[in-house]
Amino acid sequence: MSGKTLGAVEYLNARPLWDAFGAGKPLEGVLGLDLGLPSEVARKLAEEEVAAALMPVAAAATLGGLEIVSDACIGARGPVRSVVLVSEVPLHELTELRLDLSSRTSAVLARLVMKKRKASPKLFGATSKEAIASVGGTRGALVIGDPALAIEGKYPHVVDLAQAWHEDTGLPFVFAAWFARPGALSLDDVRELEKAKAYGLESRPALARAHAEAHGLSEEGLRSYLQTNLRYDLDDEAMRGLERFLDEAASAGLLPATRFTRVSSARPATTPRHKPSLDTILARAEEGARLSGDEGERLLAEASLFDLGLVATSTRQRKNPNDVVTYIVDRNVNYTNVCTTSCRFCAFYRKPGDPEGYVLTREVLAKKLQEVKDKGGVQILLQGGLNPDLRIGWYEDLFRWIKSEYQLGLHALSPEEILHIAQMESLSVRQVLERLHGAGLDSVPGGGAEILVDRVRRKIAKTKCTSEEWLGVMRTAHAMGLRSSATMMYGTVDNARDRIHHLLKIRDLQDETGGFTAFFCWDYQFEEGTHIMPGEHGTLLYLRQQAVARIMLDNLDHVGASWVTQGPEVGQVALLFGADDFGSVMFEENVVSSAGTTFRMDAEGMEERIHAAGYKATRRNVRYDWLTEPR
Amino acid sequence: MLEQIEKKVVAGERLDADDALALFRSHDLLAIGRLANMVRERRHGDRTYFNKNLRVEVTNVCMASCLFCSFAKLEEHMPGSHTMTHEEAWGKLEARMHDPPSEVHVVNGLHPGLPFSYYEKLLEGFKRIKPDIHLKCFTGVEMHFFAQHYGMTVREVLEKLRAAGLDSLPGGGAEIFHPEVRSRISNDKATADEWLEVHRVAHAMGMRSNATMLYGHIETFEHRVDHLMRLRGLQDETKGFQAYIPLAFHPDGNGMKHLPAPTAMDDLRNVAVGRLVLDNFDHIKAYWVSMTPKIAQVALAFGADDIDGTIVHETIYKAAGTRSPDGLSEADLIRLIREAGRKPVERDTLYNVVREHEKTSLPESALKVRDRKAGRHLEVLP
Repeated sequence: MSGKTLGAVEYLNARPLWDAFGAGKPLEGVLGLDLGLPSEVARKLAEEEVAAALMPVAAAATLGGLEIVSDACIGARGPVRSVVLVSEVPLHELTELRLDLSSRTSAVLARLVMKKRKASPKLFGATSKEAIASVGGTRGALVIGDPALAIEGKYPHVVDLAQAWHEDTGLPFVFAAWFARPGALSLDDVRELEKAKAYGLESRPALARAHAEAHGLSEEGLRSYLQTNLRYDLDDEAMRGLERFLDEAASAGLLPATRFTRVSSARPATTPRHKPSLDTILARAEEGARLSGDEGERLLAEASLFDLGLVATSTRQRKNPNDVVTYIVDRNVNYTNVCTTSCRFCAFYRKPGDPEGYVLTREVLAKKLQEVKDKGGVQILLQGGLNPDLRIGWYEDLFRWIKSEYQLGLHALSPEEILHIAQMESLSVRQVLERLHGAGLDSVPGGGAEILVDRVRRKIAKTKCTSEEWLGVMRTAHAMGLRSSATMMYGTVDNARDRIHHLLKIRDLQDETGGFTAFFCWDYQFEEGTHIMPGEHGTLLYLRQQAVARIMLDNLDHVGASWVTQGPEVGQVALLFGADDFGSVMFEENVVSSAGTTFRMDAEGMEERIHAAGYKATRRNVRYDWLTEPR
Repeated sequence: MLEQIEKKVVAGERLDADDALALFRSHDLLAIGRLANMVRERRHGDRTYFNKNLRVEVTNVCMASCLFCSFAKLEEHMPGSHTMTHEEAWGKLEARMHDPPSEVHVVNGLHPGLPFSYYEKLLEGFKRIKPDIHLKCFTGVEMHFFAQHYGMTVREVLEKLRAAGLDSLPGGGAEIFHPEVRSRISNDKATADEWLEVHRVAHAMGMRSNATMLYGHIETFEHRVDHLMRLRGLQDETKGFQAYIPLAFHPDGNGMKHLPAPTAMDDLRNVAVGRLVLDNFDHIKAYWVSMTPKIAQVALAFGADDIDGTIVHETIYKAAGTRSPDGLSEADLIRLIREAGRKPVERDTLYNVVREHEKTSLPESALKVRDRKAGRHLEVLP
C-alpha cells in the first residue's frame, strides 16, 4: 500500500471506477478512498488532502496545474440521463432556473447549451432538493447525479445535457476523470486505477442491482444507464469532446483556458506537459481571460511587480472603464468587544466576564451616530465580538432604532456573528438574516473570512466557523438580495496556494450569486496581545497580492485599498495595483487599531491622494453607487 | 514620449532635460518605475545597501529662516531651542558603543554664536570615542556659512575640519537650486552656486559627498529638472557624489504649512526619475525617514538601491510631522530589504561592504523573477 488516498464522487455513475478500492473488494487498501460530493472532492485535492481525485472537469480546470491520470473518465456519447434540465414549459420559455451546484461542470454545460438555444433564464444556485422543489410554471431546474435518476419521467420537458452537447458538436461529453498534480501518482498507482476500472466495468450489473434495491429504482433502467448511457473510456474522441468543452467554456469566460495532459500506462508521462509560459498567462489575463488557481500561483510567485500592476490596472479598467476612485464616508462601530472565539491573531476581544469587556450603550451610540450624520456619513459598519449576552431581539431593537432615528445605511454583522446568533437562537441562517433584514440590515460586511482554507482557520481561530459556513452565510444573504463585501487576511500560517484557493472560493460563489460588491485584503497586523508571530510579508507582497486578486476575481466589480491597515501612503500606491476604491473615511476602528495600527485620514486627505494618483474622486454608498459628481 | 525614453534607457543613452520633464509629467508611474528598476538592476542587481549610522543634530539655532523648516529656532534661548554641549553630543555615540554605528551624521542650524573650535572639538571627540568612525558632517550650506561667518575660504574650512576628523559631506541644504524658488523659500543661506562650489571643492580635496532635492512645495517640474541637471553637471566634472537622495517636503509647523504634503506617488516618482536622469550617480537612496519605511520598501522596486541607515534619533523631519519612527534597528532594515526580494548589504559611508546578508528564503515575496518587457534587456552587471 502506497499510503496515498483517492478522493472520489460518491454517485452511482462514478462507482465503477472506484468500487474495487472499497471494503471487501479486490483492491481494498491498495489506495485509500475518500468519498464525497463533487465540490468537496475538488476541495480535498486542492488542499492536498488526497493525492488524486475523480472529480468534475470544470473544477479541475478552475484549479489548474493538474493532469488526467489513467484512461478512465465518466462521459456520455448521447443521452446520459443523470444531467438534465427539467421544467413544465419548453426551455426557451423559462424565466428562472435553479442550478444544482454540486457539479460545476454540469452548471457550465447548462449555460453553454442554453446559450445555443437562446434560453436566458435568471440563474440561481441551489441544492438538488431546492432545485427540484422549485420547478413549476416558467421555473426550471438543473438536476444532476442520483437525484436526476430518481425523477426520471416526472416532468414534461427534459433536456438531457449530454445529448444536447452531442447534437451540437457530434462529440462525446466528459463529465469527470481522475486528476492529480504531476508526479503525485506513480505509474504503478495509475495501473491500479486502470485495474479498478476493468473490475468495475465487469461489476456494473451487480452495482445496478444493489443501487436499485437500495433506492427503489428500476434495475433494468440502472443497468442500461451504467452500460449504455455512460462511457468510461477516455479515448481520443472523448478527449476531443473534452477539449471542445474547455475551449467553449473559456471563450464564454466561464473557465480558465486549459489543456489537460493524459498519463496512463499505455501513455506514460513522456509527452510534454501543457504548461503555459508566464508571458502567456499575463497576456491572457490582460485580455480578460479567466485564470486557473495554478496560474494565479504562478503570477504570485513569478511575475514582476510591474507586470502585475499593469495587468491588474487593465482588469480594473475593464471592470470600471473610468478614471474614478470611490470612497465612502461611514463609521466603524464595534458595539461589543466581548467574544467567545479567542482568535490568536486578535488583540481586541475580551472573554465574557472580563472587567474590560464592554457593550456600547445607546447614549454612546447616539453620540457616534450623530457625528456620522453631521459629517455627511451615509452608513455605519457595525461589527463586534460574539457576545453570548446579546440576543437577536437586542439587535432588532438596535437596528430599528438606528433606522428610525438616523436613517443610516446598516452594513452590519459579519458571517461569524450571524452564525453565532443563529446558533444561540436555534434559528437557521436564513431566519436570522430575514429578521435582521426586516429590522433594517442593508448589507453584510465580509469580515472574518481570514483565509477560507480550513487547515489555516483551525490553526489561527479554532472555534471560528468553517470556510463552508462562512460562504454559506454569504450565499444565503445574496439569495435574499443582500449584497456583501469579501475580504482576506493573510500572513499568519497561510501560504501562497492557500491565498489563491481563497480567491477561487470567492470567485466560485460569485459565479453562483453575483452578490459580492468588492474585495479587500490586508496582511495580519502583529501586536502585543496577539499570539501569532508576524511572518515576513511587507508592502510589496501586499501590492502583489492585491494585484493578483484583482486579476483572478474577474467577476467582482470592485477592489478596495486597505489603507486602514497599510497606511494612507500605501493605500494610494495600491491604486496602481488594481484598486478602484479607497475604502472608508474612518472615524474610528478598534480592532485593527488595538493591534497597533492607527492611521487617520479625512475626506480631504483621501481626495488629495486620489487626485495625486491621477484619478477623480467620488463618494459612494455600500452598493458602490456614486453619490457625488466625480471631481 | 515614454517609448523614446525607453529606447534611450535600454540603449544606455543619456536622457535630456525634455525627457526628464516628460518623466515628471507622465501619469504612467508603473512604466517609469519599470524603467528605473531596469537601470537599478543593471547597476546593482538585487544588492540593496544600508548602514548603521547615528544622526546627531547638535544645534537647532539657525540664522536662516527657510520657509519649509520646522526645526530651526532663530536664536539661542528661544523656546524649543537647544544647543548640545560636547559631552551631550559625544554621549549619543557613547550610548551606542555596545553596537557601534559606522557613521555619525551631523546636521545643524547656522548658529551665529558658537566659535569655530566648537565644531573642531566636536569632531575630535567623536574620533576619540571610536577612532574608525566615519564623520559625515555639515551640509554645503553649513560649510558656506562657516566660511563667511569665520572669515575663511571654503577650502580652509574643509581643511581645518578634515584635520579635526571630517570624512565626508552629507547632501542636505540643496533644497531647490533654481533662484525663482530658492529666493522665496530660503533666501538667506547659500545659493545654488555656493552650495555646488562647496561640493566641488570637497570633491577636489578627495572627499565624497551626497546630494539631495527637497520636492513637493512651490517648485514646478521644470525647477526639479533644472536641479537634477545642475547636480548631473557637477558630477560629470568631479565624480565626487555617491548618492542622490530625494527629500519630501513635510508641512507641519513651518512657513508653508498651508500646502498639502507630497504623496507617496511623488516619493516614488522622484526616486525613479532620479535614477533615470542621474546616470552618473552610483546610488539612489530611499530615505525612509522622509517617505516612511513602507514606501521606502516599495521604492526599492522603483530605482532605489539604498535605504539609508538606523538613524536612531532624527529630529528634523520629526518636527515637520513625519509618521516615520525615530529610528530603525538593523534587523528592521534587513527585513524591509528582504521582504522586497532584495539582498541586504551593510555598507560603510563610502560603500565599502561591511557584511553581505542572505536574500530571503521566502520565494513568494520575491520582487521579480522575470520581467516580461524588461526581461529581454535585463543584464545584471557584476
